[in-house]
Amino acid sequence: MMLQIDPKNLLIQKTLTETIFPEGDSGSPKSLDRIISDFDYTNYHISTLPDNKDLLLISLYLKCWTDLAQYGVEKYLSTKYAPFSEYLTVLTGNDIETSFNFSMVLNLENLNSLGSEEVKLAIIDELALLKRNAMASAFEKAFARYDELAATYADSNTYSEEVQAELQKEQVLVINYRESDESIYIKPSFDRVTVVFLTIFQDETDKIFGKVFLQEFVDARRRSVQTAPQVLYSHKDPPLDIQSVALSSNDENKGYITFVLFPRHLVKGDRRENCITHVQFFRNYFHYHIKCSKAYMHSRMRLRVKEYLKVLKRAQPEAVDEDGKAIDNRKTASGRRFEVGRV
Amino acid sequence: MSLMGTPAVVMDNGTGLTKLGFAGNDSPSYVFPTAIATSSKVGQGSNSKSLLVLLKRGLEDLDFSIGYEALSAASGPNYNLSYPIKHGQIENWDHMERFWEASIFKYLRCEPEDHYFLLTEPPLNPPENRENVAEIMFESFNCAGLYIAVQAVLALAASWTSSKVQDRSLTGTVIDSGDGVTHVIPVAEGYVIGGAIKNIPLAGRDITTFIQSLLRDRGEADSSLQTAEKIKQQFCYVCPDIVKEFRKFDEYPQEKFAQYVVEYADKNKNKVVDVGYERFLAPEIFFNPEICSSDFLTPLPTVVDQVIQASPIDVRKKLYKNIVLSGGSTMFKDFGRRLQRDLKTLVNERIEASERLSGVKSTGVDVLVISHKRQRNAVWFGGSLLAQTSEFKSYCFTKHDYDERGPSIVRNFSLFSVP
Repeated sequence: MMLQIDPKNLLIQKTLTETIFPEGDSGSPKSLDRIISDFDYTNYHISTLPDNKDLLLISLYLKCWTDLAQYGVEKYLSTKYAPFSEYLTVLTGNDIETSFNFSMVLNLENLNSLGSEEVKLAIIDELALLKRNAMASAFEKAFARYDELAATYADSNTYSEEVQAELQKEQVLVINYRESDESIYIKPSFDRVTVVFLTIFQDETDKIFGKVFLQEFVDARRRSVQTAPQVLYSHKDPPLDIQSVALSSNDENKGYITFVLFPRHLVKGDRRENCITHVQFFRNYFHYHIKCSKAYMHSRMRLRVKEYLKVLKRAQPEAVDEDGKAIDNRKTASGRRFEVGRV
Repeated sequence: MSLMGTPAVVMDNGTGLTKLGFAGNDSPSYVFPTAIATSSKVGQGSNSKSLLVLLKRGLEDLDFSIGYEALSAASGPNYNLSYPIKHGQIENWDHMERFWEASIFKYLRCEPEDHYFLLTEPPLNPPENRENVAEIMFESFNCAGLYIAVQAVLALAASWTSSKVQDRSLTGTVIDSGDGVTHVIPVAEGYVIGGAIKNIPLAGRDITTFIQSLLRDRGEADSSLQTAEKIKQQFCYVCPDIVKEFRKFDEYPQEKFAQYVVEYADKNKNKVVDVGYERFLAPEIFFNPEICSSDFLTPLPTVVDQVIQASPIDVRKKLYKNIVLSGGSTMFKDFGRRLQRDLKTLVNERIEASERLSGVKSTGVDVLVISHKRQRNAVWFGGSLLAQTSEFKSYCFTKHDYDERGPSIVRNFSLFSVP
């Protein structure tokens, strides 16, 4: 089923699986040098170090790294991969591969001699989620702030003007996750976290498909899935929550999609993790489905054309005389011929 | 744009296998069957039914899988398997569009708007097919840029990694032998000489069945296709002379005969299969087709000679001098050497005859067959090589070009001139 896009990077998973569980009995590790890509201008480079084939260098380039760095991505990733510290070393400073943002070294020798099969699989899974984890750092920060705010205002009158004004001033986290100023805005509050995606449609058709698709989102929530986060869509103008950071522009191609995450989505543990995974992949998911709908439309169009061609073929005058014999070269009044075999 | 930008995507969709990957890598990231398994509830059967489907809104169009997953899904009851490419050309555009959809988003994980694409096509692909490809790539996927290259030309480019190649020209003869058919394609300065192409109905699959029949004749313990396939890959080689090779086998049976242990999913069970003369007999069908086929009898070197002789006279010397191998069935040890020797014999005979008749001394014709390490996925590798150059993007048509001038722009691509 191609409904969802897997948050894991399948290619990283495949490459690492082939390296960690080599097929056949090739004793010495092979050298490896691979470029791997992911959504939103993300690049990975997985290579063995030139002097030691047992050390695997895994580097990540992320478009929005400078933004994430403000929200403590390095620390977050270090803690995330800390359980594997026996095999995985996070590089810092000048050790990071040039033109990449984040590098890790995986010690294959240690992993093969010490690691159990489960550890190996876990490490592959976590590395395949590298991009997700990097992006998650900003969400985690916002959610932590939400926890704080929720605790602070637990007993106060949140409707009072001072509190409202205070909340209004709350810092908005901005991630410029793609080129051409497409951004994610995250605004924590005491009873919710608002996530706004700014997406730019490159294509006129995409814009229309996008609108219809988002309308379905809004309707679906109304109809059946009431526990889903509230989704709002606005065209051109940024929603009020983020007006302090997003400038209103007259760009026709901009669309703002707002998700309001309520405390029930932010329950600590699996649900929170799950929520981060799904929300941050929204843009990819959204654009993927626009493309799928187009493909679907195309197949319907092809089918229709085929039907119409059949009708046209039937309408072609049959060249037979009264006795039912075929006549060649029948002419119209103006002397032109029916050309058989052309459509 | 970042320092390196996003790597270009190279997709080589063949009749049997699809190779997917990013430019700059030395081998494709994915190699899987060009197969798609679609939910059997949709889009087939009678007229009225398909119209009904049109009215229905559901998620059936997303219920599909490709590659090996498709093969396993199709063994169940609810899916139909189809191969959208027949004889190198795309037949079912609906399926192909969805095949690409899954390749791009699920397997390569890239937003097509951010990447340039290099796609391949067989020689003599009708321009309408090219336009259809462009329509899908630009209109469905909004891909940033597109280049469609002819497979044979990419195979030539892949041979530049070999140390034997001195000048990086796009003139040469490509012998492309995959699973189904073997093509001999002459290319002059990047353009395929369409009239001179010849096909040989013998390729990988025929070698495998030939080995299988030999195993069956001997009554081996296991003579399945998989076993034959493995024997082909592990043991076969091309010999200089069959008669001598038979004698060698009789003199040194210890060295020559081999054994293959068939492994089963059940670890305790295994069978041993003897591997004998098929080690050199199997690839021999290219050079002496009569040992396996009764309707195709021309040896490969003769076909290559005929192809070059059918090409314009001013490129023939260059075609002889740059014969490039591509595809899995050319991977046998010494395949290139044998081909070169046999072809040289043919050429020398002709030169001798002409010298005798005209009395003029010939300047001679060089025959050079180039084998290299990347032969198996030569087409893909050639694509990767070209798409990683900094000039690549300037050869592509962009989404903007397409919007401006329509699908007919892809009828002409400027040729690569690689530094």
